[in-house]
Amino acid sequence: MRFILFILAALHLTVGISAEADLPDARQVAVQIDSIINERLEAEGVTAAPLLNDEQFLRRVTLDLAGRIPTAAERAAFLSQAATDQQASRAKLVEQLIESPDYAYHTRNQLDILLLLRKQHDPKWREYLLEATTENRGWDRIFREIFQPEDTMSNDLRPVTYVTKQLNDLDELTNNASIKWLGVNIACAKCHDHPLVDDWTQDHYYGMTSFFKRTFRTKQGFLSERYEGLPKYTDIYGDEQQPGLMFLTGEKIDVPEMTMEEDELKKLQEAIKKSERDDKSSPPPRPDFRPRTEFVKLALGDHDKRFFARNLVNRIWARLLGRGLVHPLDQMHSQNPPSHPELLEQLSQHVVKTGYDIKRLTKAIVLSDTYARGRTSPNASESIAPELFAVGIARPLAPRQLSLSLRIASSNPEKLKGLVEADAWPEKRSELEKASEGVARKLLIPDEGFQIPVTEALWFSNNKSLQNDLLSQSGDRLAGFLKQTESDEEMIASAFRSVLSRAPADDEQSTLMEYVTTRRDRRDDAIKHLVWALMATPEFRFNH
Amino acid sequence: MNLLNRRAMLKAAGAGTTAAASNMAAVDVLSQPALAKELTRKGKNVILLWLAGGASQLETWDPKPGRPTGGPFAKIQTSIPGVEISELLPKMSTRLDETAIIRSLNTKIADHGQGYFLMDRGRRAEPGLEYPHLGAILAHELGQIDSQVPDYVSMYTSTEGRRQGSAGFLGARYNPMFLTDKMIPEDIQLPDSITDTDHNDRAALRRVLSENFARQTRDPGINSHETAYERVRGLMASDHLFDVEREPQAMRDAYGPTQFGRQCLVARRLVEAGVPFVKVARAWWDSHGQNFETHRELCADLDHCMSTLLDDLKQRGLLETTLVITLGEFGRTPKINGSLGRDHFANAWSCTLSGCGIQGGTVFGKTDADGQTVIDGEMNAGDLFATIFAALGIPPDKEYMVGSRPIPIADFGSEPCQEVLS
Repeated sequence: MRFILFILAALHLTVGISAEADLPDARQVAVQIDSIINERLEAEGVTAAPLLNDEQFLRRVTLDLAGRIPTAAERAAFLSQAATDQQASRAKLVEQLIESPDYAYHTRNQLDILLLLRKQHDPKWREYLLEATTENRGWDRIFREIFQPEDTMSNDLRPVTYVTKQLNDLDELTNNASIKWLGVNIACAKCHDHPLVDDWTQDHYYGMTSFFKRTFRTKQGFLSERYEGLPKYTDIYGDEQQPGLMFLTGEKIDVPEMTMEEDELKKLQEAIKKSERDDKSSPPPRPDFRPRTEFVKLALGDHDKRFFARNLVNRIWARLLGRGLVHPLDQMHSQNPPSHPELLEQLSQHVVKTGYDIKRLTKAIVLSDTYARGRTSPNASESIAPELFAVGIARPLAPRQLSLSLRIASSNPEKLKGLVEADAWPEKRSELEKASEGVARKLLIPDEGFQIPVTEALWFSNNKSLQNDLLSQSGDRLAGFLKQTESDEEMIASAFRSVLSRAPADDEQSTLMEYVTTRRDRRDDAIKHLVWALMATPEFRFNH
Repeated sequence: MNLLNRRAMLKAAGAGTTAAASNMAAVDVLSQPALAKELTRKGKNVILLWLAGGASQLETWDPKPGRPTGGPFAKIQTSIPGVEISELLPKMSTRLDETAIIRSLNTKIADHGQGYFLMDRGRRAEPGLEYPHLGAILAHELGQIDSQVPDYVSMYTSTEGRRQGSAGFLGARYNPMFLTDKMIPEDIQLPDSITDTDHNDRAALRRVLSENFARQTRDPGINSHETAYERVRGLMASDHLFDVEREPQAMRDAYGPTQFGRQCLVARRLVEAGVPFVKVARAWWDSHGQNFETHRELCADLDHCMSTLLDDLKQRGLLETTLVITLGEFGRTPKINGSLGRDHFANAWSCTLSGCGIQGGTVFGKTDADGQTVIDGEMNAGDLFATIFAALGIPPDKEYMVGSRPIPIADFGSEPCQEVLS
């Protein structure tokens, strides 16, 4: 018996390895990305921006993978390695960051923004997401756990939050399911067939709401489904329509005929009602036919449109490159083709093959040259279409990215030395996450075309507690450390490394020397001003 | 303060921000109104007196004394022949020359949250579309992108009056500055940890350190960062606008000692300095019980403050360019409930528009003898918004482009009410 088990285990292992071996590694996918992007650049006769230098790359990729700026110590370590072998050291850096607890926290925070927009501050939901990102659960599994929690983890109330928070508004639930998980906004088709996009008709809209119409929440907080209910609508000709269950692809699901006796149905309905009212009632009866389950099946189904996979690729791409291959992100339809159809197709196939592995896809993208393009085009007067991805796009930091980065920047760099590498880092990172909560809540979540509100500039310029905190001259903070640094030149360079993750340029160094020299009699004040000024630059506020 | 000079100066100061301005133009792409028209609506302002919780039309603009629904208060003759309003508004009764009363709102939604949404945006919520609220639209339409004064200030008298609207697809540039627990917006004053000179020098240092980075770009997000920081010192310099102590004692006395009165005075100071949109919320009108006691108290405050505000604006020559809107999320039921209260009611209620673009002395619309239904001139929220836009010289059929979708500034199918427009 033990022997058989052993063989089975061995078999399983080999199967695992051979499946793994079939998959291209991240570097190969990165090369594929570059080749498709570069092909179009060549065809259009556009020269791409030069690649970022090492310190620029370090800042960009750390913000993207760890959700914070690098510490001065991380910067020093990386620069010394990169000096000998740039490619290997970048690959190693990416590997380290993506396996760090920072990645799980940051990915969790990004998913929370995507799915619930922080409208809901729900620690349990956030804890669930963190568990999922720490284990690097496949996106399909997360999707199932959220939309079909009854089938996956019957005792876990945490992922249920997503549906229950939107359950009082069927339109919101339907639209968000379709926008966030499938990249398609069909809201226009609620009142009439989409005027510009033939793909979306009113049938699509109501067909999609049909998948959620029967869902309800029990008093205990679980999800379940009723035995009947299909939305109807009146079309523009005044005729009543009932499209039934219809997915975005036009695929329809037949609703099985009800064979139950009326009495029996009544009994079941009573039990359902009871479960809605009474938190001590036993779980409600479950119909054999469950529209929400059908939705999950269809979304994950193998059809040529692959909305689910394409949406994942497009959103990860946009998060890392500042713009989707399909833009805007919720307009995936025939009249709005992707900028690089072949790339979207290949990456979608890739994520399907890898079990919707977000980490793998992320790694491939950040290893590409396309990701590492600088922000300045070689010919400054020339305006390059952003969808060519020839030039890096600056992205405003999300609230927690900014808040955590402010904490790192305002810390005494000596105290951060070795911290990220140490065993205590996961715990420390979790503390930082909590400490950054207050500031993060003050900030708006950037959306498309985000503008920095003047209230943020006023707050950053004048808020007392923020100033006292960020510019504190105590020993564990940056301003306190700089105060102890005797040489002005070194003090300035150190401030640049801590805040902007780079060395100052000559003109910057001399501007600041002058600023400090003319305030020699009150150097401490001058130090606070320069720390504040560096943190209030757009260079700090954006990932670029 | 000389208004014209201040405006001219601000315009000149704003010449350098074409990048940010062109960003906004993207949203306006479908409508390119003639420059003359564009200019006429600059320099216009709006004060919204928000009656949070829903004031009773029967105790204000549409009384029905002697009817079963009428309640204990009488009606009084106003300065307009044939027009009578509740005796709870004696001061307003002599000041209707610049005001139009609308008695025929039928907005249907009698729930605080959704009613607020509707009367704040002029349309119902639509999933997938973040429609901006009135203040953000008017700050966008009437203000200047680089304005050195706030372009949208929102005040309230109790927590119930405060609901954070969203500037939606217009962007955070048009979010309001709130006056929360203090009479001055947060973070607009110099912190004690720094001197004014240092604060200024520090801002200049920030600018120098940002120049290289910001210059390399046409990125609208980065430009908005620089515009926001460039506005900081100007906004700080406008802190005196919030200081009613700078008004002569007689003026402060005229507005009276209530918080609503002081906020109305601040509102006048703000529009005088060129702030395009100011909202003052007065709460809490939600009189499910003791409706008549509640209205006796709140109407006295409203009557006094609104009439003082209109007098003051008129004396300063500001009423021609300032529209005062008195509105809430709905009215109250004609039926008086067992607790002598009136409940939520959105089928036949009233609001007023005064000043800029308004035909004063008009009453529009009619309800039946008991105030249960509108029998003439029915208006919905979209029609009211279209009327407000028209009064300010903003074409109500103007469209914003959201992605590839044109969104009319006033809801689909709405019409301005010509009868109340001058």
